[in-house]
Amino acid sequence: MFKSLLLKGRTMCILILCLLSSLVVTAQTKISGKVIGSDDKQPIIGATVKIKGTNVGVVTDVNGNFTLSGKTGYVLIISYIGYQAKTITVASSDLGTITLDVTNSTLNEVVVTGYQSQRKKDITSAIAVVDVTDAKRVPTGGATDNILQGQAAGVTVVTQGQPGGGASVYIRGINNLGDTQPLFVIDGVQGGSMSNLNPNDIESIQVLKDPGSYAIYGVAGGNGVVVITTKKGKAGASTISYDAYYGTQVPKGGNVFHILSPQGMSQLSYLAGDQSVYSKIYPGGAGTVPDYGYQGPGASGVAGGPGANPVGDLLSKYNFDASNTANDFLIQKFNQSGTDWFHALFKAAPEQYHTVTASGANDKNNYYMSLGYLDQQGTEVYTYYKRYEARINTNFNIAKNLRVGETGYLFYGLSPFGQGGISNQNEGDAISNTYRIMPQIPVYDISGTHFGGTYDGPGGEPLGNGANPVAQAYQYQNAYSKNWNIQGNVFAELDFLKHFTAHISMGGNMNNYYYAQFHTPAYMDYESHGGSNGSNEGAGYNSNYNWTNTVKYSQIFGKHNVTVLAGFEQKYYNGRQINASGDDLFSVDPAYVNLNNVTANKQVTSQINQPVGTQSFFGSLDYTYNDKYILRATVRRDGSSVFYPGHQWGTFPSLSAAWRISQEDFMKSISWINDMKIRASWGEAGFAGNTPGTNPYSLYGGSPGNGYYPIAGAGVTQQGFYLSNLGNTHTTWENDKGLDIGLDASLFNHFELTVDWYRKTIGGLLFRASVPGTLGGATPPVINLGNVSNNGVDVAIDYRNNIGNDIKYHVGVNVTAYKNKILTMPNNYQDDAGNRVNAIVRHQVGHSIGEFFGYQTTGFYPASDFTKVGNSYVPNAGVVAYAGAQPGSFMYADVNGDKQITDADRTFIGNPNPDFTYGINLGASYKAFDFSAIFYGSYGNQDYNYTLYWTDFYGSFNGAKSVDALTKSFGAPGVTNPLLPIQSDLNTMGTTQTSSFYVSNASFLKIRNVQLGYTFDPKIIKTIGMSKLRIYLQATNPVTITKYKGLDPELPPGTAGAQSFGIDEGNYPSNQRQWIVGLNLTF
Amino acid sequence: MKKSIFKFIIPLSLVFLTLSYSCKKFLNQPISNALSPSVLATKAGVDGLLIGAYAMLPMSGNPTTGDTWGGSVSNWHFGGIASDDANKGSNPTDQPDAAAVMNHSVDGSNDYVRTKWLSCLDGVQRANDVLRELPLVKDGSVSAEYADEVTAEAKFLRGVFNLELSKVFRNVPYVDETVTYSAGNYNVGNPGPIWDKVEADLTAAFGKLPATQPQLGRANKYAAEAFLAKALMFDHKYTDALAALTDIMTNGVTDQGVHFALNANFNNNFDAAMKNGPEAVFAVQMAVHDGSSGANGNPGDVLNFPAAGPTGCCGFYQPSFTLVNAFRVTAGGLPFINADGTLPLNDYNGAAIVAAVNGADPGNNSTLKSDQGVDATDNKYMPDVTTPVDPRLDWTAGRRGIPFLDYGIMPGASWARAQGDAGPYINMKNVYRQSEAATQSESYGGWAPGQASAMNYNMIRYSDILLMAAECQVEGGNQAAAEALVNQVRSRMVDHPENWVKGRLTGYTGGDPTKPIVDNTQNAANYVIARYTGQIAGGTKEFARQAVFYERRLELAMEGQRFFDLQRWDGIFGGPEPTGYMATVLNKAIATNVSYPPAYFGDAVMKNSTFTAGRNEIYPIPTAQINNEHGALKQNPNYP
Repeated sequence: MFKSLLLKGRTMCILILCLLSSLVVTAQTKISGKVIGSDDKQPIIGATVKIKGTNVGVVTDVNGNFTLSGKTGYVLIISYIGYQAKTITVASSDLGTITLDVTNSTLNEVVVTGYQSQRKKDITSAIAVVDVTDAKRVPTGGATDNILQGQAAGVTVVTQGQPGGGASVYIRGINNLGDTQPLFVIDGVQGGSMSNLNPNDIESIQVLKDPGSYAIYGVAGGNGVVVITTKKGKAGASTISYDAYYGTQVPKGGNVFHILSPQGMSQLSYLAGDQSVYSKIYPGGAGTVPDYGYQGPGASGVAGGPGANPVGDLLSKYNFDASNTANDFLIQKFNQSGTDWFHALFKAAPEQYHTVTASGANDKNNYYMSLGYLDQQGTEVYTYYKRYEARINTNFNIAKNLRVGETGYLFYGLSPFGQGGISNQNEGDAISNTYRIMPQIPVYDISGTHFGGTYDGPGGEPLGNGANPVAQAYQYQNAYSKNWNIQGNVFAELDFLKHFTAHISMGGNMNNYYYAQFHTPAYMDYESHGGSNGSNEGAGYNSNYNWTNTVKYSQIFGKHNVTVLAGFEQKYYNGRQINASGDDLFSVDPAYVNLNNVTANKQVTSQINQPVGTQSFFGSLDYTYNDKYILRATVRRDGSSVFYPGHQWGTFPSLSAAWRISQEDFMKSISWINDMKIRASWGEAGFAGNTPGTNPYSLYGGSPGNGYYPIAGAGVTQQGFYLSNLGNTHTTWENDKGLDIGLDASLFNHFELTVDWYRKTIGGLLFRASVPGTLGGATPPVINLGNVSNNGVDVAIDYRNNIGNDIKYHVGVNVTAYKNKILTMPNNYQDDAGNRVNAIVRHQVGHSIGEFFGYQTTGFYPASDFTKVGNSYVPNAGVVAYAGAQPGSFMYADVNGDKQITDADRTFIGNPNPDFTYGINLGASYKAFDFSAIFYGSYGNQDYNYTLYWTDFYGSFNGAKSVDALTKSFGAPGVTNPLLPIQSDLNTMGTTQTSSFYVSNASFLKIRNVQLGYTFDPKIIKTIGMSKLRIYLQATNPVTITKYKGLDPELPPGTAGAQSFGIDEGNYPSNQRQWIVGLNLTF
Repeated sequence: MKKSIFKFIIPLSLVFLTLSYSCKKFLNQPISNALSPSVLATKAGVDGLLIGAYAMLPMSGNPTTGDTWGGSVSNWHFGGIASDDANKGSNPTDQPDAAAVMNHSVDGSNDYVRTKWLSCLDGVQRANDVLRELPLVKDGSVSAEYADEVTAEAKFLRGVFNLELSKVFRNVPYVDETVTYSAGNYNVGNPGPIWDKVEADLTAAFGKLPATQPQLGRANKYAAEAFLAKALMFDHKYTDALAALTDIMTNGVTDQGVHFALNANFNNNFDAAMKNGPEAVFAVQMAVHDGSSGANGNPGDVLNFPAAGPTGCCGFYQPSFTLVNAFRVTAGGLPFINADGTLPLNDYNGAAIVAAVNGADPGNNSTLKSDQGVDATDNKYMPDVTTPVDPRLDWTAGRRGIPFLDYGIMPGASWARAQGDAGPYINMKNVYRQSEAATQSESYGGWAPGQASAMNYNMIRYSDILLMAAECQVEGGNQAAAEALVNQVRSRMVDHPENWVKGRLTGYTGGDPTKPIVDNTQNAANYVIARYTGQIAGGTKEFARQAVFYERRLELAMEGQRFFDLQRWDGIFGGPEPTGYMATVLNKAIATNVSYPPAYFGDAVMKNSTFTAGRNEIYPIPTAQINNEHGALKQNPNYP
């Protein structure tokens, strides 16, 4: 069990008191002893020592000592919650140290909760302790945040499928428009990322969920705090261990986007009456597809097969000229059976992770070292994430009262894409093009080496404007992004004046990166075919430090236990980046490509992040009376440079209290209640996220593309300036106030329950001001406007038991439910996630953040609603219609009842916020076998499937269309109960508008992980020098249960930002199956 | 114990020492990568702000931020595709906001409308920044003369941006230098037009600007006077406008002191190598290869290149059938205008165009033959070389079988992105020559190959001055003077047949459509043009008016003017024609387009559209702006 050095102060005090008291208690007729716990070797205070068969008994004191009158031969029963009762026969008057073994209870766990540690039973606010052993089984895919998914009530994690893609972590729902990530505190260092930690290095994870717990972090804590502690060497023999797994990730099978066959595409084009397309690419009639498409100088079209010109000598004209695309004569053979674009892009991919650790400790020093190597290949071709890791954590007791130590983590990450990972959830990326590009287009043209695409066919884009996704991905095959990171800290800790401990820590994160990539002249889509090749490179760094100083006073007076902490902290962030690019390389041989060899458009720019400094004072008071009444108060005062003097400082108090009702006499008789605590907390935290360091100042800038002007009439441009930033000197902290009422109970010896109800109000939400155009083009400042409230309930249940001696099992369930509501907002609403048609999301007062907004579809107009006049359809009297409506168009609800359909009839059509999310952890072991399974589910959330814009409406863009478009649309042969409007190349309001058509139930239950392990008999493996050997088989994501028809119902935010989520633009799926074999080995 | 106290004191005193030293500084980090107003308080700083204001003239943002073309100063959208000049082009679904502008279904949520509004007001505020910064200069670097000059240039720019804003939205807020964020007075209303304010700014600029400027991009006094005249035209103050125009015609010179004149070669106005000639009264300066990745090279018009040929994208802004047919002339070389001023040439229609396809002569000579529906591989198509047309046609619209600048014979359908939806004609006035591609064009933002160009956009060129003066003369009753002015414009072509498009297609080598046989000694088509000989001077007033209007239409076609001319002439805002004039003209053009069978001209976007009188003459105020101003700003009439 983890022991923090911070606790040492208390230990020292206890030891001192122990010495003193032992001088007093020396009578020969007394029987004495000391009770400690097997877990942390700490004294157990308040353990009951009873003489068997009598009512005589005592309770251990603050040092775990007890004394009672008796004689040898008496049988003593020693018991304490969370520990197995022990029976001892008195053999001498001094029983020495008696160790109680832990039961399944976790009450005595020591958890780090913000500048100090507490026993779990002393916690007064909403803090979730993650079971790291369970959590580590969640596959990370290179993003360690993923292990939090479903592991703690109140924590919502949305994972991404791309290697190293990171995850979105929300504590108690989305509170914010913009930065919604919690603060990660790793070994006391704030502002790092959990994403790249080696999961094997993690000792413990606590999530501070309510302002009562995170107010001590002040403004950094407003979105919640995740406190992570990495491992230290443990007393005992030094060990070396090796953990590894190897596996394969398999993409989802089948026709994932329900795309038509080429023949179906041909039929649909005739059904839609799109003569300008079918006359060019399906000249032989509905259902036929010609053999070839070609485009060369002055010539383009289709050949071979029904209706098309004969092939003749066409194939001999093929010419690919990389140096001059004007000479290209490209020919592709249409794929009559249809290209499965999704599986052309997504293939099974291997993954492996190896960690070697060495650790050990003696009474003075301890060390922990690890080396790790992750190689996560992506199922999307050419994607991967590799990470090389090293960690060294050491602690030294220099003197009896002085300790120093450090935690240090270095890693080197490698991925093929520039900063920010691959483009995902974006209509232009490779994944999206798998549902946009027509199925008759082959991956490669007739040369077999060059790509097929929309550019080798008839002119005018009848083959659509999608890109060949394989060509797109191929462009990145030689691109790379390298990351070098150092994170960690160095600290010293000094005990003085008996009850005081001073702690100084200097730590931070330093991230350096370099990336390079080049693009070939885009043989991938219609528009950029014929462009130039080019290259870009860049480098930069981000750095932050924390300097933290605390002084702690801790003392126990009888039944009063007091700890006071005061601290000062300084934080600083800065970063810079340089980018360079150029075009027209003689060759795109990777060995040749660099910026020296570009011949055009050479450009260098730098990006400077405004440094941000924060200074803080904070303090806390913890008071426990008789292990029964617990009180904690904290206060923090933060000053930040992102605000103007006078508005820089904010004060953030919190107060929390708990009553261990089970310690009351009237409860002690209830045998099935082992422990029960009622707690309440209130606190205020702040948030300055989303606010740049330049926010208070009006600033001028200029760049060649903005502000420079060729005023001389010819030649180069002259430098000019413009007002780029409007400053606001009044902006200040966002204020997060929260109330949490909770219950922790340990029941029936096997059952633990935590329930929290909370209410959080975010006041003075930091928004980018929305100013009218009359102020010009300067970026408006971030100001305090808007309030949001979050209400919710978190429930966590854990049950552990044994069947006989061989079978142990446990079940953990946690449920997160929140209700988010915007209380005030400038202009009442803000639209978000704009797309080809309209914004999808409206954040509006009275609604949750992120709700979908559009027309409510009510069916389709029947032919009888219109009279045809010329080419137009005129609605009959009494028919409420819109311009362009015709038989088979969507009917929309006339929400405002004005008998016309206008923008004003848009309404809220769906909510991506779930009613609740839940995680279930199952574990069991039988002799040497162990089994575990992790379930994660979300209920009541809806997704907006924007991929349907491309595939279900003929009128959106030329490109791949869905089977439904041909077989379930209005007016299609044999369709009496259509799902889709009439397929037509007319793109009127009746088709692709943002509407409820796209919204569907996206509740899901995923079995994230099933693992079966076998641990070899230590006696046998000892003979070959090992102390522990376990092998396991794991299936990740074996099952996803959902009604959602897209790739994966779990959707990370798209390009619009974290506040607009649940919109599917073709997501790198995070529920792909993985089959893994793994090994845990200790020497 | 003593030792412990010592140890206790050291760290704590260190803490407090650091605090007292760094607290104030630490929370006031120096600003990186930007300039504060005090740094700019020098002459060079003020001039930098002025350059920054000029830099808004293209009315387009940065290529990395997107949304560049909605504001374009060329008004290819609001002035072009919304009128009978041009079709949107590309696929019907590409750029739905442009489609809405074209088919008059635009509403306040339209992104083009939003961008135009913001770009104009950004320009206004950048000009205001100059005026606000000037009094902050205390270092003595600014002389009184320079202060006057820079104030005049700033007011000129403010006038130009406000005029642009007024043309598009009419009822607009007037934002002067007192409107700032810190003053909180930025919710400026739009109770009506601000012509008086625009005129006042331009008059002030005219009063203080010099006649010549060392830098050709700067406004001189005649540029200010020309915009003043234009504002007065929109304000229907013909007498005042004529006075200004007359002064320009008499005394007006370019920045270099050269008297304004028409270029002998019409196409020099659309040749990047010939920019800032005597005809350029005021041009937005464009540049490429300047390190901006194309951002200063007509960023608002990057979509407006044919889908093949000069670049590879994007096939927007295609001249309409209506426009191309307007260039047909009588055998005598004059436009078809009836004696009562009506236009008889409304009989070109779908049936005629279908007949004209595939080499058949439509017979009734009612429409120019086109290659609509003809495949690029067809090796029999020959252009119409008998129907008399104004020679300006082939410097305005690319047609199959006619040389396109120096690219050789335009090959037809392969250059149109979707010929079936937007017609066979290709815009030309904004396209650079093939021989100048390397020097005058650049890739735009790394995305669009060769789609940035260094060709200037002439906001006002001299023929515009002459034709505005002609309009004033008609309204003032002096039709003879009007005729002289119109003839002055026509004379350029009449007197310089050497500058008509040469190169007649006579056949294809070996029947290969990629190998045309061209006779460069002949004109490409049957060009005929003549001066008026008393028809305007002696005609009805309506005939005179229509003759001037028609000349404007031909001369300034595809330059983003047409929509605003129609708006100016409509009686709804005080123009000389009856109320609803604009709707009549544009609905007739729509009806013509609709009459084409979908097989030949299937532009779904255009069909079913209607221009609504009393609404579509001006554009809607962006809804977001109305919301943002909390009631001060009102929507234009009849927009929801």
